[in-house]
Amino acid sequence: MTDFFQFLVNGLVSGGIYAIVAIGFVTIYQVSKVINLAQGEFLMLGGLIAVTLLGTGMSYGLAFVLSVLMVTLIGMLLQRFVVRYGPMSNQISLIILTIGLSILIRGVASMFWGKDAYALAPFTSNEPITFSGISMAQQSLWVILAVLLLLFVFWFLMNKTLLGKKMYACSVNLLATRLMGINPNKMALLAFAMSAASGAIAGIAIAPLNVTSYDVGVMLGIKGFSAAILGGLQNPIGVTAAGFLIGLVEAFGAGLISSGLKDAIVFLLIIGVLMIKPTGLFGEPSVGKGGL
Amino acid sequence: MKALFSKKSLIVFGVYLLVAGLFPFFGSDYFLSVGIIMGLHAIVTIGLSLVMGYAGQISLGQAAFWGIGAYTTGILTTKWGMSPWFALLIAALIPAIAAFLMARAIAGLQGYYLAMATLAMGFIVQIVFGEWESVTGGMGGLVGIPALPLFDDLGVDFYYLVWGMVTLVLLFSLGIIHSRIGRAFRAIHKSEIAATSIGINVANYKLLAFVLSGLFAGISGGLYANYMGIIDPQPFGLHESIKFLTMVVVGGAASVWGALLGTILIGSIGEVMLILSEHFPMLKGDMDTIVYGAILVLCIIFMPEGLVPRLQKIMAKRQEEPLPAERKLGA
Repeated sequence: MTDFFQFLVNGLVSGGIYAIVAIGFVTIYQVSKVINLAQGEFLMLGGLIAVTLLGTGMSYGLAFVLSVLMVTLIGMLLQRFVVRYGPMSNQISLIILTIGLSILIRGVASMFWGKDAYALAPFTSNEPITFSGISMAQQSLWVILAVLLLLFVFWFLMNKTLLGKKMYACSVNLLATRLMGINPNKMALLAFAMSAASGAIAGIAIAPLNVTSYDVGVMLGIKGFSAAILGGLQNPIGVTAAGFLIGLVEAFGAGLISSGLKDAIVFLLIIGVLMIKPTGLFGEPSVGKGGL
Repeated sequence: MKALFSKKSLIVFGVYLLVAGLFPFFGSDYFLSVGIIMGLHAIVTIGLSLVMGYAGQISLGQAAFWGIGAYTTGILTTKWGMSPWFALLIAALIPAIAAFLMARAIAGLQGYYLAMATLAMGFIVQIVFGEWESVTGGMGGLVGIPALPLFDDLGVDFYYLVWGMVTLVLLFSLGIIHSRIGRAFRAIHKSEIAATSIGINVANYKLLAFVLSGLFAGISGGLYANYMGIIDPQPFGLHESIKFLTMVVVGGAASVWGALLGTILIGSIGEVMLILSEHFPMLKGDMDTIVYGAILVLCIIFMPEGLVPRLQKIMAKRQEEPLPAERKLGA
């Protein structure tokens, strides 16, 4: 039973991070139909910039805020100067473009930080919390808290503000959106800013749980992409659920079957779901079929 | 078929034979091995260009088929004691079957969903290589894979074997592209709905592209195992898949020659970076990934069709031939 709760906690922590990354994917996708495969790099940059800023003797709070701001700026620059000029009508070219971006960012990061692993201090003490046999790092609580907070902010922005309505409008009908005086480019810029910021926060929150290095973004990005696809790319609640599902499957797979096979189990699950439902668990059925 | 035997394409083919044939006489042993690896990569990328440029699909897991080919040869020769030539034949078939099964399994996926599925497949295969210790040797890999009899000095002979294979694959692909099948591929690439409406069985043609790409990757993988003698899971992952993708995109996915040129170009850049990093220590590290990333980004933005189609366009303009649309009107 203790094992069960231990796996549950682990699954919820990593699942929460995947959910945040997935929401980042969906936010950008909804506004501009771009899947930004460089999303994982935002998490890497968040963690590593925070490490560097802390190294200069800055206070934790300031380092946190500054690194989130810097990553947000990087995200906006990427949209403004690269992605905006991408071939918007061709999904395959867009995938390749953002893969290129992610390789580029990772390469530049490896020049700045080398290939060493860095440890970021946890937000509060290193002492684990033990509760009837289940031990949990304090940082895990912070991660869950950060995830819940981000989920709430996203929900609030998208559902309760005019800005959210404008961004949603872009995904419904681009031409009509333009005619209503909304600038889709501006909305896409905003979407990149939002996913970069949320990515940076998630990246800083999980960095203390494990070491961080220039290549942590690869797997986080791919798992987030998996969650976004599994959830169907359409609604944020669906991909959040998919994120947690992937985290839980991974944690229980690692605990009950084999830790080496945990990723294979997750990917098998995704292929299995896509075979049955080609647009993910919560995606709209595709209109007009022309597949294999 | 006429286009295949036009004067221009014969000249291109002649230049290719000359360069590929004379290369071993101008380099050291090191360059010979670079040439062999480039040839092996080219076999994979030509197959990938059929999937990407002609059938208009994407594969983010091409290295998996390459790996299945390599491991088939590795396992059959070291564990079953099979003759390397026979193992190579099976190494070509098994990835083709794997590609067939994968293509069937992910039937109906498009765009981002297809990318995810092929990515997932690539990861699963690499994980299996690492975890199935009793068969694949786990992370340590397989050692002592025998070389192919008749080509066991792994020098100039093997180079010609590999490039002979590249030439075969190239001719086979060119033949396909200039046939009814190739026209069907292009129709699918333009619009699947339109292709369906004129009676093209879209599903079967896509399946064919994947199976051919699996077959080519398998041949290359099997030869790779013979050449290296040892294999481990590391080179058969996402990194290699993306490298294949880069080669195809840079050269021009909608051109078999593009895949070949892209492979040579990206391979050469890698070598140049290696030499530069010896002279400039600050370039050590992931300089090559920066270059690959930058090439991908710049290529998609400024030259989305790739190098060879762009060159063809420039050549056509220089000769002031009528545009294809005008030619059609005139006919």
